[in-house]
Amino acid sequence: MRWLSHLDTQKAFERTFRRAQIPLKYSEGFNPHPKIAFASALAVGVVSQGEYFDVELAGTPEPAVVAAKLQESLPVGLRVFGAVAVPPGTPALMAVVNRARYRVQVALNGPVTAEQLQTVIRRIWLQDSWLVERVGKRGPIVKDIRPGVFALQGEVDPEFIVLDMLVQTGSAGNVRPEEVVDVLLAADGLPVNRERVDVERLGLFVAQGDRLLSPLAIR
Amino acid sequence: MEQTRRCFRQPHEVISAVLEDELLRKVAKPTRYTGGELNQCKKDWLRVDVTMAFAFPDVYEVAMSHLGMRILYHLVNEQPDLLMERVFAPWMDMEDMLRKREIPLFSLESHRPMAEFDVVGFTLQHEMSFTNVLNMLDLGKIALRSSDRKPDAPLIIAGGPCAANPEPLADFLDLVVLGDGEEVLPLLLRKIAAYKKETGWRNGGEGAGREELLHRLARIPGVYVPAFYQPHYGAAGELKGITPRYGDLPLRVRKQVVGDLEQAYFPTKPLVPFMEVVHDRVMLEVLRGCSRACRFCQAGTIYRPVRERSMATLKKQAVTTIQNTGYDEISLTSLNTADYSGVEPLIQELTTEHAAQKVGISLPSLRVDAFSVDLAKAVQKVRKRGLTFAPEAGTQRLRDVINKGVTEEDLWNVVDSVFSNGWSALKLYFIIGLPTETTADLDGIVSLAEQVVYRGTSLLRKIGVKKPVRVTVSVSAFIPKPQTPFQWEPQVSLTELENKQAYLRSRIRDRRITLNWHDAKVSFLEAELARGDRRLGQVIFLAWQKGCKFDGWSEHFNYERWLAALVEAGLEPGQYAYRVYPYDAILPWEHLDFGINRRYLVAEHQRALAGVRTADCRRDKCQGCGVCSSLEVSVDLRGDHNGKNPHRLL
Ligand code: SF4
Repeated sequence: MRWLSHLDTQKAFERTFRRAQIPLKYSEGFNPHPKIAFASALAVGVVSQGEYFDVELAGTPEPAVVAAKLQESLPVGLRVFGAVAVPPGTPALMAVVNRARYRVQVALNGPVTAEQLQTVIRRIWLQDSWLVERVGKRGPIVKDIRPGVFALQGEVDPEFIVLDMLVQTGSAGNVRPEEVVDVLLAADGLPVNRERVDVERLGLFVAQGDRLLSPLAIR
Repeated sequence: MEQTRRCFRQPHEVISAVLEDELLRKVAKPTRYTGGELNQCKKDWLRVDVTMAFAFPDVYEVAMSHLGMRILYHLVNEQPDLLMERVFAPWMDMEDMLRKREIPLFSLESHRPMAEFDVVGFTLQHEMSFTNVLNMLDLGKIALRSSDRKPDAPLIIAGGPCAANPEPLADFLDLVVLGDGEEVLPLLLRKIAAYKKETGWRNGGEGAGREELLHRLARIPGVYVPAFYQPHYGAAGELKGITPRYGDLPLRVRKQVVGDLEQAYFPTKPLVPFMEVVHDRVMLEVLRGCSRACRFCQAGTIYRPVRERSMATLKKQAVTTIQNTGYDEISLTSLNTADYSGVEPLIQELTTEHAAQKVGISLPSLRVDAFSVDLAKAVQKVRKRGLTFAPEAGTQRLRDVINKGVTEEDLWNVVDSVFSNGWSALKLYFIIGLPTETTADLDGIVSLAEQVVYRGTSLLRKIGVKKPVRVTVSVSAFIPKPQTPFQWEPQVSLTELENKQAYLRSRIRDRRITLNWHDAKVSFLEAELARGDRRLGQVIFLAWQKGCKFDGWSEHFNYERWLAALVEAGLEPGQYAYRVYPYDAILPWEHLDFGINRRYLVAEHQRALAGVRTADCRRDKCQGCGVCSSLEVSVDLRGDHNGKNPHRLL
């Protein structure tokens, strides 16, 4: 599943709705397409523990029934955790989801101690800007991702560094977990294998003040 | 502990781990290699008697679009004792890594190396995929030539349209299946299973020879073992005959056909890929075969006779398949779906039935020659794709030569209804280099395209459409194909072909006409490979060694390497493509019997040169091609309107 593109996942769900015989609402026009909108696109190669999407159905079926029917028809590797009905006019998930939590595992080429890792993390955490290069439409641009990183912790497994991070996502901008890894590596030449970085999205949230809410809870 | 566990990992476990941890993240489109799609069949290797890899010599998105693959995959896997997995050609990025890491080519389902399968079956869709067959064998660490294979190496088998003349690949294939695969394959696999059980073949059995196995298999009707057929060449290098090496083998191997398509297996729970593939939709096979008898067309001879499925069955299959896949489109596929005897009611009923779910009905390419534009409107309601029209030749004279049943009047009827119904674009297909072609025929293409533009423009204006008319003229080159009435004809020379293309380019001045043409060099090689004999095996081998692969992809095709390979193998380039075979010559594919009798092909060839048309046996009387009597089948029309469609233009 992790190798599916965002579009592939969207299509997989669209087809699942049809198999489950849950009637969808379609856009008008020559090429009617169903209205399925994910809160946040998941990058290819990233495992996810939880994604959210808005979908417009024809009629008003029971959310629990929809969830159960969907689950029966999903391809192996995808699972439905729940569904809630939202009244028309509710802002789209895409507009409200603004935090993503990731677990990133970076393979080590040589030994690293827990203290060594903590020291680097503490050092960069105190810096007020983390500059990373991104490829924009008009060539490379430099961006400061520091304001978009809200928590960063690390542990050493004998063969890996495991990072847990909370970063900004959504309409206000996205921080990619690999960028945080790059900042960490630039600060200290840790002996890691940059080609073996595995990313897992642990969750998506809506930050309201100090609180992190589940997108389902606020609906 | 960790170390010991690693030591005992099976090759497929190692491959899975390397893919997941290292390779997939470095390739474009990783889902080409992951498998795990909806409706995939992953069976327990310990519970089946024989294992087969279906090998498609092209990338995932092409392979997955092939209906034949879907049929055989599910047919075999529905048998409890048989197993089939898929192996496709990796794209260059993956191939480089596999070679660098010495990882053998693997199957999508279990990631087992190709060489672990008892049987590896290639489908040969076109000549330009031949180097990919060699490349895949090499990536699978399987000896390229069948004579070099160890007794317990997998059997390398093939089928598909190029089985009409598999001689160029004879050195590399252990066995070729002629005709409809679903007839022969289960039988073949079970014979192999029996042999395994009896002799311990591929399981350490002593003296479990390959020769003996192949000899048993060669006795199954429709199975051709190239090594058992010995070609004899004369002093001048001409083919003098091809004789079987065992007395109990037939002189000619006859193709096998599904007699009753209605009863034939069809998968209604097919694979649904995650990534977008070329044909990403439900494919229903409405009919098999085509009897319009266009004289250049190989599909028109090797898939005879015409056999249809009934409307009731097709409608049932449509419902079940949509239910099992969730697709939003049903494509009615066949060589020419517009010929289906109940095409109009079928489309209308399917459209109505699936409208609520927003499932659209489409035809692979909407050839408007055989049906009303009203019908096109029904099909296009949901899907807006372009209309295509294939006059194939620019003048009535040449259309009669090739037996393309399109008259000038039909043509204008079609054009008129296309544009007055609001379409502003039309694609026209032509073939250049056809036998007897003159400059007048090329001029005919140009003037036809121009007239379409003029007529289209005034018709659009009449109905108040402001869009400019766009006409695409797509020109391919004539390739004389085995088992057709034109099999004796030469291809025109490469220079001549290129001159003809240049002539068309210079004559087409109107900006509203776009001219597309195929690389003439590819067409030349296709003819060379299509009409050749076993001496081309060395050429394919050398071309592959020089780096040729994905020759069907224009950006990878390298003519110079092929030319060098031909020369190095001691052949005269054009030796096969340009050869005029006299009627009494022994053709390289003489020993392969597709049911069409020789007398019929000769008569058709002569009628062509005389410009005499031949009727379609599905509407008219039998034309005596011989297929029905020799294969003991008959034309089988099942649509409810049995060919008498009142809306039919032709
Ligand atoms: S034998 Fe006659 S009816 Fe049968 S396919 Fe040939 S021409 Fe048609």
